[in-house]
Amino acid sequence: MSGTSCKDSIALLLEYLDGNLSDEVRARLATHLGDCTPCEEFLRSYRATPGLCKKALVARVPKSVADKLTSFLKEELKKPV
Amino acid sequence: MHLDPRQSAADGAAALTPTEDSGLLARAAEGDTVAFEALVERYTGRVYGLALRMLNSEADAAEVLQETFISAWRNLKSFRGDAQFGSWLSRIAANFSLMRLRHRKVTQAVESSLDEPHFNERGSLIDEVATFGDAEEAALNQELRAAIEQAAARLSDDYREVFVLRDLEGMSYEEISGLVGITVPAVKSRLHRARLTLRAAIDTFYAERQ
Ligand SMILES: [Zn+2]
Repeated sequence: MSGTSCKDSIALLLEYLDGNLSDEVRARLATHLGDCTPCEEFLRSYRATPGLCKKALVARVPKSVADKLTSFLKEELKKPV
Repeated sequence: MHLDPRQSAADGAAALTPTEDSGLLARAAEGDTVAFEALVERYTGRVYGLALRMLNSEADAAEVLQETFISAWRNLKSFRGDAQFGSWLSRIAANFSLMRLRHRKVTQAVESSLDEPHFNERGSLIDEVATFGDAEEAALNQELRAAIEQAAARLSDDYREVFVLRDLEGMSYEEISGLVGITVPAVKSRLHRARLTLRAAIDTFYAERQ
């Protein structure tokens, strides 16, 4: 296989970002990314996705839930283990 | 161009001062409920967040929260200091959450195939030009947050659970493989597809406001 297609490149992104590709595959992918702007953009957005999601998905505990937990544990912790 | 993969290793859940935990843990293991309640307060947000994102249900997440802490209390003696307390709790919460997901799957006899994520890698590649390179720096606005929440909630359980455990909780592939009961390559494959789906949702969000 001489080159790497766009589809192949995208399939490799997870292993690429984990640093798990062999030198040869990695070099081939890097070449493709250097030549292919859409793939390079795709990599950038793919790479940003987990961090962005993590920020977006921070959950606030509703006060009712926290209160319920507190009273639940107050009862339960009294019981012998 | 950014070609250094090391910069972007999935970062784990924020480390919470494990040294401060150890004193409380020692006291809690001796039956000190006040110490345990302090630990509960410290980790409630993290446990609740995990359960909420896994289960997509505030009510179920509240149940898992209770199950997790009571289980932790009862098993505190079996907690060994070789792991961080937060990671140990996350594993317990992940187990309770997975149990509920499995149970749901059984009870919800008809699972619509519409729940499966759709992607068209080639299509999205050709049609869209990703424009959110700087989004990490930008303050996350409320609408983007909502778009991501919606996309994550729409992932099928199989994809969402590995995404939550890896990208939100920072668990290792091996750990997730053990918890979920699938191979490491399967974990990676599901994670990749979940990320592609979420990436596309974010991309669409930006495309629509141009
Ligand atoms: Zn390409």
